[in-house]
Order: sequence, then structure tokens, then C-alpha cells
Amino acid sequence: MKFSIPIGPQHPALKEPISLRMTVEGEVIRDADIRLGYNHRGLEKLAEEKTWIQNIYLTERICGICSHSHATCYVQGVEKLMDIVPPKRGLYLRFLVAELERVHSHLLWLGVAGHEAGFDTFFMYTWRDREIVMDMLEAISGNRVHYAINTLGGVRRDLDEGLRQKILSQLDILRRRTEFYIKIGANEPTFVGRLAGVGKLSKEKAMELCAVGPMARASDIARDVRRDDPYGIYAETPFEVSTADTCDVLGRVVVRVKELFQCYNLIEFMLKNLPSGEVKVKAPRRAKPGEVVSRYEAPRGENMHYIVSGGADKPERLKVRAPTLANYPATVEMLKNGFIADIPLIFAAIDPCICCAERTVETVDLRTGEEKVLRFSELRTLAQERFDKNPRKGTGLWPF
Amino acid sequence: MAVLKTVLYLIVYPGILFLFVYATFVEWFDRKVYARLQNRMGPTHTGRFGLLQPIADFVKLMSKEDIVPDKADKTLFTLLPIFGLAIVATAGLLLPVWHTNPLQPGFNSFPGDIIILLYLLSLPTLIFFLAGWSSTNLFSAIGGSRVLTMLFGYEVPLFLAVLSPALLAGSWRLAEIAAFYRQHPLLILPNLIGFAVALVCVQAKLERTPFDIPHAETEIVGGTFTEYSGKKLAFFRLMTDIELVVCSGLLATVFLGGFGGGIFLGFLQFIGKTLAVVFLLSLMRAVTGRIRIDQVVSFAWKYLAPLAVLQLLIVIFIKGWVL
Amino acid sequence: MRLAAFLPELLRHLFKKPATVDYPFQKLEVPKDFRGSPFLRPELCIVCRACERDCPAEAIDITSVNEAEKKFKLAIHNDRCIHCAQCVDSCPTDAMQMDQRFEIAAFDRHDLKMAWDFVRAVVKIKPQA
Repeated sequence: MKFSIPIGPQHPALKEPISLRMTVEGEVIRDADIRLGYNHRGLEKLAEEKTWIQNIYLTERICGICSHSHATCYVQGVEKLMDIVPPKRGLYLRFLVAELERVHSHLLWLGVAGHEAGFDTFFMYTWRDREIVMDMLEAISGNRVHYAINTLGGVRRDLDEGLRQKILSQLDILRRRTEFYIKIGANEPTFVGRLAGVGKLSKEKAMELCAVGPMARASDIARDVRRDDPYGIYAETPFEVSTADTCDVLGRVVVRVKELFQCYNLIEFMLKNLPSGEVKVKAPRRAKPGEVVSRYEAPRGENMHYIVSGGADKPERLKVRAPTLANYPATVEMLKNGFIADIPLIFAAIDPCICCAERTVETVDLRTGEEKVLRFSELRTLAQERFDKNPRKGTGLWPF
Repeated sequence: MAVLKTVLYLIVYPGILFLFVYATFVEWFDRKVYARLQNRMGPTHTGRFGLLQPIADFVKLMSKEDIVPDKADKTLFTLLPIFGLAIVATAGLLLPVWHTNPLQPGFNSFPGDIIILLYLLSLPTLIFFLAGWSSTNLFSAIGGSRVLTMLFGYEVPLFLAVLSPALLAGSWRLAEIAAFYRQHPLLILPNLIGFAVALVCVQAKLERTPFDIPHAETEIVGGTFTEYSGKKLAFFRLMTDIELVVCSGLLATVFLGGFGGGIFLGFLQFIGKTLAVVFLLSLMRAVTGRIRIDQVVSFAWKYLAPLAVLQLLIVIFIKGWVL
Repeated sequence: MRLAAFLPELLRHLFKKPATVDYPFQKLEVPKDFRGSPFLRPELCIVCRACERDCPAEAIDITSVNEAEKKFKLAIHNDRCIHCAQCVDSCPTDAMQMDQRFEIAAFDRHDLKMAWDFVRAVVKIKPQA
């Protein structure tokens, strides 16, 4: 007997609103339907109204966990349009913060995976160690999230010697703790029992559905923008792509933990070989006309920004393709023939950053099931018709 | 006079008032140990050391709005928490706390009371299923079916494990079993396998990690308790707390030698032994993650039931050959 | 696969101090250069309006109070501010600064407005890099 369970938009398993309608038969899922749009904020339209500098802070706020990746992706693109090259020290500092962000994001994900599996002790331990990274980021940039260290032409703040030594010493603590988490992850039978064999995505299916990031790397596809299309300083830093071949959630855990170790090596390399010099160059107010595609390896996968400039001091079009959006079709594939008990784990394994992925809105008529994409002018007409039919009573208070 | 004394026992000690105070204390202890194991603080600011936190939670829940879903079966929905509380409180009366001398039995000690206690402890599972079913909510229905599926897993090993020491002691009366183990303390050792099995089964009965599938927060919102709020939810939570006290009291009586030594010393032994059992249960809660329902049933039948049978065989062997 | 693989570590935590900071009874120190709320040093402001132009949240308002005496009023709406410190970077005379306050919650958003009345200063602009 099939019936459909709604997971979301409000659900304790989800940190952000998304609607997954599962058709289940007993405890086995037969089909899944993903509906987006609950977190749509109109960012791409707003970016057309703000200048190049103001947009750095706007793109940073697309997401809280991968804020630096969106800001860096955008700034890289605009620097290409404006034809300016940041100095080496600036680039090193920019990607130092990027790797620290990757560490904090993977530790966060490990905790969330533990919490979804019911393993709260693991969750508390990983988040306690994540505080070390947050304190380091606060000392470098002045804030724990939304670091705002990028500017057009480099970074805004410099790193002094005392802080550099402090970060190097904290790296040892982090390395030891990560090895401890590998020990728990591999040896705790209840944890492994929940993760092994769950959410299988074969290599062919992952290629066909265009999975990105650790999802694809856990299915033995060695694809990483830092190696395929090196941007910034990744052409000269020692770094290997981490893959696993078990194609399930356990493989994704292994990939992320391996990436953590790669991050520690990269941070150590960057700190030890930090070149001296300026941290930024002056950027012009206007950008030359043109278009650019900027790619970046966010903690969740490949992040892409497409920027069009018309020669003004504002962009003409900014399009954001976040990695989670590319992973949604693969999620539907993974959910089929899984158990209900595995839904939170499968969904958490793609490391969903739902607010990164909110772009267009499609309306579904509940009664007829008809779907269509509405233009803004059509929405405005609908709103005005409704207002004409039900005039406002005039009892509300304007808040400003 | 005897009627007054009985009423006093029923209301004050070891009746509902004592159970309420002790159950909230045990919940505080459980939460504090769980938090310290995870390097956190646990309840700290309500009352000294956070001791009043569970009582504060209870009072807060009692004062919240009570919402009954439209399509739910109203009589069943309302009566189930009250029934549940009554059942576990009655089970609490059967623990041999007050009259521990088997020669002067009180009103709460009679041959066969271990069977009655186990039966009364199986009823809450049925109450949870009915609560989930009468809510007519999809998540509650799934939670209710999971509760009953788990019952198929842990009930048999629990019964076998708890009845083995009773076989060794040669009696079906809790006070006599406890007295037997107080006189022959060395005979506690052959029952250790049964103790471990009973600990795991009690963890499953109380629906705590690793067996908290029926009300798994991250999957099915609240499981059987999804639609409950206000006073009814307060009663359900008090019911699970008292169930924790009763189960740990049962394990302490049957496996750890009961609570002897008169009124005052017996009371201290009761607190000490039940807190030891609760500490072990909290440790189990912190060490493991949640396992799936099919894994629970397969784990129970592959490992717990054979171990319980092994324990039974050991007991029969010792009784037949040694004693 | 061992049962309860990290039990010794777990038990060791029973005797360690908890990692929680008992806020608000204990507070952590913020590092230097923490981005709190912006404030103005009016003796250095030359009213170039760079901060008003560059603010992503339109939180800075500069109005002229008296044209002849060159009196201006700069208001910072701390409820709109996103604490990015772009105004500090854009200011050519270092008149805009960031302080370390982060406990700025209030019941009414209009309580978070800060304003300065001043006369426009005559200050040498620091050379830009």
C-alpha cells in the first residue's frame, strides 16, 4: 500500500526548508519528489542593483557555511573582467582562509552526520573541535562567519607573525583529533552499521546525473576543480584528489576525512611559504564590458559564477550555480529503494546547502497538479487582481 | 488505622509522591552524566546544580496549551497518558523497598510478583502503540508500528534474562530473590551474562539510544508522541522517567541483591544501586548511535536471545549439579 | 570493529572540565580587530561620502544641517549595518572606525541609530596604496 510522506518544509532532519515528497511502501521508498523555492531571496536580481564592491558582501551572504567560496568565486571573476592581478601574498591569504573554511565545513558535516545517525556524542566532540577553527578564523578576519576578507584586488587584512605561529600550533591539535575521529568512524559498529551500504550511487549513474564534489569523489570519479582547472595558487601547492570507491555514505565520510588531511597539509604549506609584500592592488570603479565564468571548489563541490558586465559600475547579470543544485538529481536516484530510516543520512550525505541552491521558482497548482514558471510581471498582475478583489482594511501599522 | 497506613504508602512512600521526586532526580542524574560524558555542562542553573530542571520541564509542559487533533479518537487520546502513568506507578509499588524481610511480607510482596512486574512493564509498549495509532498522524503511525516491532525483538531475551536468577534462587518472589542473593553474594557472578543482556533489553524497552528508533527525532519528528502536547505530554514524559526507575529497581533487585538492612540502610541501598544501574544505562546511551529497526530485530535475535538462553543453561547447570 | 571503541576516552571526559563557557556569567575575550559596530571620529571627517556610497546595506546617512557653517549630520543605522567594515576601508582619513561591541540587542530597532553632528574637518588625505 503506497502512501506519501512529506519530509519538510519543516522537519527536524533539515536545517533549511525544502520539500521532499516520498512515496513509500512500508518502510521502503519507491519515489522521491524534490520541491525547492522556500528560501528564494532574489539575490541575482539584487546583485544587478549594487556596485561591484557591494556585491562581495551580497554573494558572501548566499550561504553561511560556504560564504568565503561564493565571495572568492565572484571576486575571481570580477578581477578577470577588470584585468587586475592580486599580489602573491594576497592570494596566499585568500586561499588560507578558503582552506580553513573547508576544514570547518567538513567538521560541521561530520557532526551533522553523527546527529542524523543518532550518535550525539560524535556530534558534540566534532563541534567542540570546530571551535578551534572558528577562533582562528575570528583572529584572522574579525568574525566567525562571513569573514569578508576578500576585496577586489586582494585581501583586506594582513597576517602578523604571532598569529601565523599560533595557527601552526593549533594545526597539530586538529590533526590528532581528526585521527581520533577516523578511529571512531571506522570502529564503532552502530555508526558503521548505519552508514555502510546506504545511499548507493554507482559510478555510471554519478557521471550521468552530473554529481559534483565529495558525492562524485566517493563514487570513484576523481574530479576536483583545484586540479582540473587550477585557480589562484593551486597550481604550485602540493595537493592530491581524495577518492573512495564504496559509492555509499561511508565512502563520503572517508572522502571528507581524507580531504581534511589534505587541507591541513595545504594550510601548513601556505603558512610556511607565505611570501612577503602587499596584500592588495587598487581596483577601478568600473569593469570593462565582457562576460566571465569563474569556477571554484567549494566544500560541497564545484561552485560556478557567471558574470556579465556592460561597462558600468554594477554587474549586468550574475548567475550562481551552487554545488548542491547539481547534486539534487543524484539525490533522487539515491533515495529510491532506501529505507525511511535512511532518509536523513542520505540527504545529509550530499551536504545540502539549500539556500545556496535557490534560483527559480515554479508554481504547482495543488488542485490540478499543473506546473508553470511565472514571470515577475505575471506575479505582479496576479497580486494586483487579488488586491482589487479584497481591499485592505487599513488596520495594519507600517513598521518604519 | 491499617487503611490510613496503606493510603500513606500509596501516596507518599513508595507511592506516587516518592516516585515523582525520585524519577525527576534520576532524570537529572541521567542528563548530567550524559552531558559530562560529552564534555558539556548539562542542567546547571535551575536550582542548585540544576536539580530542579526536570521538575521545571514538567511544570512548563503542564502549563502549555493542550491540542487534540481533529480526527483523533478523543477518549483514547486523552485516557492513554493517565493509564500509562497509573500502570508504571503500580509497577513501582511492587519493588521490595519497604518490607524487605521475606518473613513479614507487606501488602506489596507475594509469590509471583516478579511475573506481575514484568507484565506491568510490557503494557507501556502497548500504550505507546495505541497512542501512535489514535493520533491518526502518519508519523505517529510509523512510530507506533516501530514500537511493536521492537517488542518482538527484546521481550523474549528480557524475560529469559530476568527469570534466570529467579530460577537460581528458587522463588518467584522479589523479596525472597533479593534475600537469597544477599545471603549468597558469590552466586551473583554466574548471572553476569544475564545482567548484560537485561541491561541492553531494558535500554530497548525504555526507547533510549541505541534503540530510540520509535521516537527518532531526526526521522519521524516525534514518533508516537508527535501529536501530544501540554499536560498529556507531561504525563508521558513522567511515565518514561518512572519506567526508568522501576526497570533499574527491578535489575538491582534481581541481579545486585536488593535493598536489605532495615528502613534507613535499605533506602540508601535502593538509591545507590539504582543510580549505579542508571549510570550504566547512560554510558550505553552516550557510546552508541541509533540503529535501524531491522537491525534491532536481527541484533536481538542473533545475539541477545542466544546469550539469554546460555545464561539459562548456566543457571540450570549450577542448580542441578552444585546446589 | 570493536564494541564501544572509544569508551576510555568517553570515561576520561567525566573528570575533565566541560568545554562549555557559562555565558552570560562568563564571557570570552574577543580578539583584537574584531568587527563590532562602526563609529565616527568627527574631527577627521571631510564628508567625502565614500562610506555612504560603498555601504552594502545603505546604513549610513549624511545630511547637511547648515550649508553656510558646513555643519553635517552623519547617522549610522546599526540595525541595517551588516558589520562588514567596508566603510572603514573606504574612508580616506581613518575617521570611520570599528569598535568591539557585539551585545547590541535592543527591543526597538530605532534605538540602534547613532548620530553625530559636526563641522566638516580640513584634514590631509592619507596616500592610497
